[in-house]
Amino acid sequence: MDNLLLDASKFIALTPEAITFLFIVGFIGGLVSGFIGSGGAFVLTPGMMSLGVTGTVAVASNMCHKFPKALVGAIKRFKYGQVDIKLGLIMAGSAGIGVQVGIWIQKMILANYGQAGSNLYVSLSFVAVLVIVGGYVMYDALTGSKEGDAPKVGTLAQRLQKIELAPMMTFKTAGMRISFWFTVPVGFATGMLAATIAVGGFIGVPGMIYVLGASSLVGSATELVVAFVMGLFGTINWAMQGMVDIRLVLIILAGSLLGVQLGAIGTTYVKEHMIKLVMGTIMLIVAVSRGIAVPKYLVDLNLMQVSPSTLAIMDKASFAFMCVALLVGSVIILGSMFKARRADTRAVARAAGGHA
Amino acid sequence: MAHAPSDKKPVAQTIAYGIATTAIYAGVFSFADTITALFAKGALWAAGPIVTVFAVSWVHGQFAHNLWTCLGVTARLPRAEVRPTVQPVARPQVRATLNA
Repeated sequence: MDNLLLDASKFIALTPEAITFLFIVGFIGGLVSGFIGSGGAFVLTPGMMSLGVTGTVAVASNMCHKFPKALVGAIKRFKYGQVDIKLGLIMAGSAGIGVQVGIWIQKMILANYGQAGSNLYVSLSFVAVLVIVGGYVMYDALTGSKEGDAPKVGTLAQRLQKIELAPMMTFKTAGMRISFWFTVPVGFATGMLAATIAVGGFIGVPGMIYVLGASSLVGSATELVVAFVMGLFGTINWAMQGMVDIRLVLIILAGSLLGVQLGAIGTTYVKEHMIKLVMGTIMLIVAVSRGIAVPKYLVDLNLMQVSPSTLAIMDKASFAFMCVALLVGSVIILGSMFKARRADTRAVARAAGGHA
Repeated sequence: MAHAPSDKKPVAQTIAYGIATTAIYAGVFSFADTITALFAKGALWAAGPIVTVFAVSWVHGQFAHNLWTCLGVTARLPRAEVRPTVQPVARPQVRATLNA
């Protein structure tokens, strides 16, 4: 039975604090994922690493918890009529290619510039994508909300939908007809981002909304299908290398399956722009978090001089900002759900009073 | 559309799935080190964590669904409104004419 002893260099000893932390982050990450289609992974991986889990085991375990969570969320939102399975599967196909290209780029950077170069590339990708895409999502959420409830199809999506480039595809749930070739770059970019920063949805959901023309409700729900397919194949890969820590996965799942269903339910209460608002807020706060982490990698590459104590503070501040991003997102989701439910209760009471 | 609370709470299902979830977690964590080491052997042992999380996602997922229903947290709208897909307008076929 010696070979069944747990490899202490690979798998950590669990403490009550670690279990509580993983459960809570799992719940909040699940809540956000159920609502905006992605999220949570960016806190879970560094969170696990801060508990002493090695990078590869953290990434593998995170992915192993992600696909069943996405499956449960997708089924829940499918029942609400929000998931376009055809769009999700097509996106997942090109995302799979994007993941492979993303991994190849990562390996190339790692071979040429070492771990610090790779970390810098990841952080800069985080900051660039999140500031540009997150900023636009936020702008749209803030300006769109003033224009009323009816979500409009963006100008770019309208133009692309008019281009008759075979094969044209009709996505009934998303209510759009667009060339297959326009879904490819969106799916590809989703996969590339998933391989680089582990949160492909930060480009997949805005891509489906602004490039293809899906509503934010359908885009965020369909992203769960993409996350499920990518997560399942990623997990098979990692599990075959023996990198999954099933204990960590089950603890995170305990929280995230509760959260993802609550988040999915939340989408039936709020107006569509709330999904954009939550997504934009989280993306911009995470961008700040990764921006704070950049000097550390510049120091590692001898491109900058910062004292070790300052770097330690910046490291902690970076992680704290990530946690804040999730917390703020969850507060907005729960707050808007609570407001909508209270308004419903009042409406029911008023109607009952009117009939009396 | 106003939220209509359901009349009957699935208490029995919640308890049943709760017990099943607890049993799975108790089973795995009673032999946590051995199971984790086995699942980390790689190759065909990769099926272990995948089958486990599928089982947990079903049992615990059902528990979570019933729990939220019991707590009165249910969806407001049964189904989202589907936006009609704009299909291209068919161009009228031009009939060939012979002007002789």
